[in-house]
Amino acid sequence: MTATFLKRLGALTFVAIFGFGPVVLFAASANASGGTASKQTPYQTSRSNAGTPNSDNVVKNSKGVIISYGNGAITYNAPSSALAALGKALFLQNCASCHGTGANGVPANGTNGAFPNLVGLGPATIDFWIESGRMPAADPRSVQAPRREARLNHDQAIAIAAWVNSLSPAFPSIPTVNLKGANVADGAALFALNCAACHTIEGDGDALAMNTYAPSLRHIPATQVAEAIRTGPGNMPRFTGNLSDYQVRDLVKFVTTEIQHPQNPGGFGLGGLGPVAEGFVGLALGVGILALFGFWIGERQ
Amino acid sequence: MSEVHEQRTPVVLSGLSEDDPHLQPAAKNPQLVERVIALNFLLGIVLVAGFGASYWVNAKSWILGATMGGGLLFIGVGVVAWGKYLMPKGPFVEDRHPHTSPQVDRDAFAAAIVERGGNVIKRRKMLGGLLGGGLGIFSVVAIFPLLRSLGPLPKGTLFHTDWRSGSYAVDQTGRRIQVGDLAVGSIVTVFPEGTQDTDRGQAVDQTVLIRISNQNFTTQKGRETWAPLGYVAYSKMCTHLGCPVGLYEQQLQLLVCPCHQSMFNVTNGAIPQFGPAPRPLPQLPLFIDPQGYIRAQSDYHEAVGPGFWERP
Amino acid sequence: MSSDVVSTKRMKQQSLGPYGAVGKALGELDDRIGVAKGGSSFLNKIFPDHWSFMLGEIALYSFIVLLVTGVFLSLYYIPSQAIVTYHGSYLPLDGQHVTQAYASTVDLSFAVRAGLLMRQMHHWATNIFVGAIVIHMARVFFTGAFRKPRELNWTIGSALLILAIVNGFLGYSLPDDLVSGTGIRIAYSILLSIPLVGSYLGFLVFGGNFPGTAVIPRFYILHILIVPGIIIALVSVHMFLLYRQKHTQFPGRGRTEKNVVGSPMFPVFMAKTTGYLFIIGGVTALLGAFAQINPIWQFGPYDASRIGYAVQPDWYMGFLDGALRIWPSWSFHSFGYTIPFEVFIPAIILPGLIFNLIFVWPALERRFTKDHETHNLLDRPSYRPKRTAAGVAVLAFVSVLFLASSTDVIANFFHLPLSAVIWAMRILTIVTPFVAYPLTYKICLELQTTKGGGKRKTPNMVSRTAEGEYVATPAPVYVDDQHDELAPAEVPKFITAATPESDGDGVRTIDR
Repeated sequence: MTATFLKRLGALTFVAIFGFGPVVLFAASANASGGTASKQTPYQTSRSNAGTPNSDNVVKNSKGVIISYGNGAITYNAPSSALAALGKALFLQNCASCHGTGANGVPANGTNGAFPNLVGLGPATIDFWIESGRMPAADPRSVQAPRREARLNHDQAIAIAAWVNSLSPAFPSIPTVNLKGANVADGAALFALNCAACHTIEGDGDALAMNTYAPSLRHIPATQVAEAIRTGPGNMPRFTGNLSDYQVRDLVKFVTTEIQHPQNPGGFGLGGLGPVAEGFVGLALGVGILALFGFWIGERQ
Repeated sequence: MSEVHEQRTPVVLSGLSEDDPHLQPAAKNPQLVERVIALNFLLGIVLVAGFGASYWVNAKSWILGATMGGGLLFIGVGVVAWGKYLMPKGPFVEDRHPHTSPQVDRDAFAAAIVERGGNVIKRRKMLGGLLGGGLGIFSVVAIFPLLRSLGPLPKGTLFHTDWRSGSYAVDQTGRRIQVGDLAVGSIVTVFPEGTQDTDRGQAVDQTVLIRISNQNFTTQKGRETWAPLGYVAYSKMCTHLGCPVGLYEQQLQLLVCPCHQSMFNVTNGAIPQFGPAPRPLPQLPLFIDPQGYIRAQSDYHEAVGPGFWERP
Repeated sequence: MSSDVVSTKRMKQQSLGPYGAVGKALGELDDRIGVAKGGSSFLNKIFPDHWSFMLGEIALYSFIVLLVTGVFLSLYYIPSQAIVTYHGSYLPLDGQHVTQAYASTVDLSFAVRAGLLMRQMHHWATNIFVGAIVIHMARVFFTGAFRKPRELNWTIGSALLILAIVNGFLGYSLPDDLVSGTGIRIAYSILLSIPLVGSYLGFLVFGGNFPGTAVIPRFYILHILIVPGIIIALVSVHMFLLYRQKHTQFPGRGRTEKNVVGSPMFPVFMAKTTGYLFIIGGVTALLGAFAQINPIWQFGPYDASRIGYAVQPDWYMGFLDGALRIWPSWSFHSFGYTIPFEVFIPAIILPGLIFNLIFVWPALERRFTKDHETHNLLDRPSYRPKRTAAGVAVLAFVSVLFLASSTDVIANFFHLPLSAVIWAMRILTIVTPFVAYPLTYKICLELQTTKGGGKRKTPNMVSRTAEGEYVATPAPVYVDDQHDELAPAEVPKFITAATPESDGDGVRTIDR
């Protein structure tokens, strides 16, 4: 036991505790928050299989960056970083005028960011807003941007998402829903408990408070359903640890089948407006036509 | 056989001859109308028979309804047209006789009640009184089984839920909510553990758990410990009429009741900002236990749901 | 022998009398009950023919449709809140735990042959039933048919309106789906809001706290037995009074306070009314075939912690929903007690006031007009401007309440903020009656002063003389007015063969 040896042993121990320790701890906490070397995202949940890399299958590339994660129900794929250059160009063309060249947004007078900061929101958010046509916004001052025909196609949206994500990688990534094995009955029950309160039980949407509204679900594709549920766009709450990927898959199946293709065995669905429409039809068509018959049967003096 | 003539006095009876204009059909062209009605009846018969056939082969609902509806409609139109165009067109008249009876009959009717009745009672006042009393009491107590047997008395039931000190908050599948589950802007419906499948649990104990921040949150003075790490819980039963307040707008931080659009601000104790709800949603005090589960500190501090007389 | 056969036939005919087997049968009946006079009077009863008198029949016959379809439904529906697991052809419900009431209704819709048609016919017939009652009541009101001697009939009719609405509410709550279950929750809270006895009433009616397991079976018995029983009894009295007092009629040629002009019960009126019954059944069936109503499988079973947005009651309850939405939050609590006026006023007091006004209207009008005469001739609405304006004002008020139950649909459709729509409704509710009354009054006065106002005008034929002057002469009456040329005749007791000896009146002496 020379002094040199002891000194080296002490130095090694020192490095071990104070060097690797934080790395281990940091890695552990980073796994919990869903990624290596990422800042805390708004979508954090520690529940596994709930939209974050805390999932059954996690695939990393050679540099250790997570490129996909998920399970049998939903696979989340990070956009390829090779698209980032194209994405930056597209962003500067279409988005920078409101969201700033660095995607930092412009906070407006104390409200929650009229042109929000997009950094750290994750690719699913960016992709949802662009592919549903809401962004680029037709009227940047309106309270809620409506769904329109998308001005940028799928590849362009992914590219923009890739670039924004490169500024500060975050989750969830772009979901791909595997509907095989989805249980539409569970989806129906989940829809009634979580979604019907805003979107109505038939999925038609309606006006909410302060000029906001819940949009109709009749035309939304499966991927965007999953993105909306996981990211909670606008005033919609985000469903993270309270819904597992399997439950989201069931919901997607329910929305894309029963909501968008209702069976309507009883005849015309009357627009899904419920008793209001039924009352109109009953009075105008029912009593109206019968009163017309009465007009024929009786005299007119 | 010889016919027997009975001698009777001739009487005058009102009658109309067949060619009287009142008895003629209203239609200008009865032949044509008859053919049209016959066509209607024919179509009606075909359609009604078609209903029978459709039923036999278990056809779709709209086919069953179309055949039956069309058949009934054609038959009905035919019958109405027969009555309106082919039957005697009239008009006919009959006299109204006033319903008022002659005064002597009215007097006799009233007298039967007043004089005969009075005669009886006058002499037996005590009996009348006792009978009246008995019938009166009977009519009151007869209502008791119709009312009281219907259900239990409320007593204190409306003042308590099943949340207790230490109750775990679980979602509708029975899974306990942990502190890492929700992100800011998430909402989940929770129940005290064990009640999520019961009627009472769903109706009375239903609670919304919202994460409005990453830090401890204070909604009102005195509630500093109630919302740890931004998890705030309110009763889901609207204080207006009891509808579940499931509609959460996360940027406006408003809980909106879907029934009559009362709007509750979740940052200040769910005080209603607009709409008919009169009181804030009661807030459930929470704490986070060392394992990270969200649990209740106690039951709600007031009665949940809509107002009633005994509620202070 | 052939001659024996012939004479036997003649003997049979002679013994049957001049009216054949029917006459003999009626004779046997008359021997036992004495139906001849009453029966004749029944068959001769005159019904005036105006088309607006048909509206009550729409209500009556849609009630018949309700009874028939209702019997069918009652054979398959199970009024129980016991939880079962649904396994059936509608996959989004497969494996879900639902009440037996809900499961049996879904099975009715998907598994029972013609079940969906019957369900939809039943529901459409209800909408038509209540709508027809309202329109019929409006006709009776605006023509003054509720005056002496028909006040009792008006009272019975008002009670029938309330019973029809209540039975409709009970009926659509039976499937225990998410939409109607929310309505039941609201009904429970309305019961709770009654001062002093609210919580007791709620617990008694529901057998405990909400939801309990007693409410669906109790609603069922009320819906198929108690309330229809009362309705049938009241409708019978309503019809009997109509029969006995005879229908009212509009003033016109040959029509006085002391007679009724129209068609006799048999055969004309019976033909028209039976045909109308078939037409109403047919239209209801066509609606049930092509227009989906109350698709409870899409709503899912009721769960007290679930709700859908834009949930409304059936249209005839809409005025309650509208009142509850727009009423401000005026709760009153002190001394340890609460009176939830924000519920009590719109849900109990307001409808109570409206229906009380309806009930006492005949007495009110008697007091204001001091008119205690018997009236069998109807008023033209424009000739009674105060009554017409008052009726329109009340109808307008109730219509705004109905409109107010769709505040979210209006806000969504017109892209307005919800609070703005609700405030607009609050103001409209107060302002509309005060605008409707003078407006209607003025219109009535206008119609009165216009020559022939409200009546069909006779056209003028314009011809030109040889000098070029235009001359207008009244044109011949319309072709279909021609049967009005005849003065009304008594219903003939006998119809005789046309002979040259019959005099103009058709009165002859007949040997018997």
